[in-house]
Amino acid sequence: MAPFKLAIQSRSGRVIASLDVSGDEAVMEVKKRLHATGKVPHPCRQRLTLLPPPGEKRGRVLDDDKPLSEYGLADGSAILFKDLGPQIGYATVFFWEYFGPMVVYPLFLLFPQIFYPWNKAPVQHSLVQQVACAYWVFHYAKRIAETYLVHRFGHATMPIFNLFKNCSYYWGFAAFVSYFANHPLYSPPADLQWKLAFALAMACQISNFYCHIILANLRAPGDKGYKIPRGFLFNYITCANYSAEIWGWALFAIGTQCLPALLFMLAGAGQMAIWAAAKHARLRKIFDGKDGREKYPRRWIMLPPFF
Amino acid sequence: MGSAYLAAYNLSLFAAWGLILGLTVRVAIMEGGSSADVYKAVDLPLKVAQSAAFLEIVHSALGIVRSPLFITTTQVFSRLWILWGIVVPVLQPCLAGSVGIPGTPPLAHLGFTTLMLAWASSEVIRYSFFGLKELGAVPYVSMWLRYSGFIVLYPVGVASELTMVWLAMPTISKTRMWSIHMPNAANFAVDYTIVCWIVVLLYLPGLPKLYMYMLTQRGKVLAGDAKSKQQ
Repeated sequence: MAPFKLAIQSRSGRVIASLDVSGDEAVMEVKKRLHATGKVPHPCRQRLTLLPPPGEKRGRVLDDDKPLSEYGLADGSAILFKDLGPQIGYATVFFWEYFGPMVVYPLFLLFPQIFYPWNKAPVQHSLVQQVACAYWVFHYAKRIAETYLVHRFGHATMPIFNLFKNCSYYWGFAAFVSYFANHPLYSPPADLQWKLAFALAMACQISNFYCHIILANLRAPGDKGYKIPRGFLFNYITCANYSAEIWGWALFAIGTQCLPALLFMLAGAGQMAIWAAAKHARLRKIFDGKDGREKYPRRWIMLPPFF
Repeated sequence: MGSAYLAAYNLSLFAAWGLILGLTVRVAIMEGGSSADVYKAVDLPLKVAQSAAFLEIVHSALGIVRSPLFITTTQVFSRLWILWGIVVPVLQPCLAGSVGIPGTPPLAHLGFTTLMLAWASSEVIRYSFFGLKELGAVPYVSMWLRYSGFIVLYPVGVASELTMVWLAMPTISKTRMWSIHMPNAANFAVDYTIVCWIVVLLYLPGLPKLYMYMLTQRGKVLAGDAKSKQQ
């Protein structure tokens, strides 16, 4: 393909660079070359988009793996550059946001003299409190293992601010739940209640793990397309992994009979509901049943029978 | 339609706060009354006018008004908290005390009276400005007051609010007011004293942020008006 001139400009219209490119060149190559000019940061901080069509705010984002020919660019075309700000790896953020709760929660159980200094009497923890701690630590250890062994990430990086935001959320809630669950004045619920709740919660953790395996296997390595999830609970629920997660935390709250644990579950469920609605809408939009594509089956989004 | 409603809303609240300001000036300045006397005079209009401000969050959320939702919510909530969460439940200490340099006249001390003067002056300026805006024409005086009054009124207002908290705190912690204690079935506890401390800590970044917001608005608006006058 004949090489042509491509202008890369900022949102304000200033031309940052002008490169000679060819149609079969991948977008990532362009990003690397831009970075080499010294005027543009690292490729993972670059977002390149087409100019927005009239009446719309944003143009189409250029995918790293696709060739320039996909986007109908010709000699003299311009594309827009946006600096996404300092980025951090997805796996790095996941590790720190899960490592915190795993370490913070047991602290309240192990060092009551530090966290409840007004309590002079020695603290006797009930069996349910110890089980709850073990469950919590297991949950986050599982999440860390999944981060490195199971999950396939759609993006490589996220803005570095997310590290602080996510860690505040996870570490904060870990301290909030643990402070009350391990409090010297904690009252354990009935034996049958917590034993049944934790047994079922463990089943939810295993279900959630199985859901993650199914999701990871949806795409072959390198494959970026969307697929319809199938099997197990996915036959009925789009985001079955979120469902299992939420039920697990609901059961944890019942097993500990601790209001902060319930609040933690509600906060997580709220955020997951937003993600689930978006994912469900996206899958329904892609799998519309036209042009030989499958029609996305009727499924609940995340929480039957309401949602 | 929305415009008529907003005009009515702003003018009603202008009237209410005007009444509060008038009563405060008469009782405290002209008659030399104490904070307790001021409260007795403004009790009902204060509660009605300040509580009605909750509607402003709704206006912002529905997009009827262009103010940013987060700032509006924090402003209204801080006012409602001071009134219903501090002054009304811990009335006597809030009215009896004040904070100031010994030897200076009582009105120069921060207390409920200065709180009323600051709140009422700010609101009278604000609501008249927005009411006139809905009606179409804002005289320069109104705009100047709206974008300049805060320079003194914000700090005096916030200082008076924090004074109320300062005066109420001993009672709140001694009586363990509005607190839930363990052990209980929900394994949860809330200590209102700690809640108050947390809110006060949030004031610290809050005031400069709001102040800066108003200062930049002032720069934009008054400069913009001067430019259009030059043309």
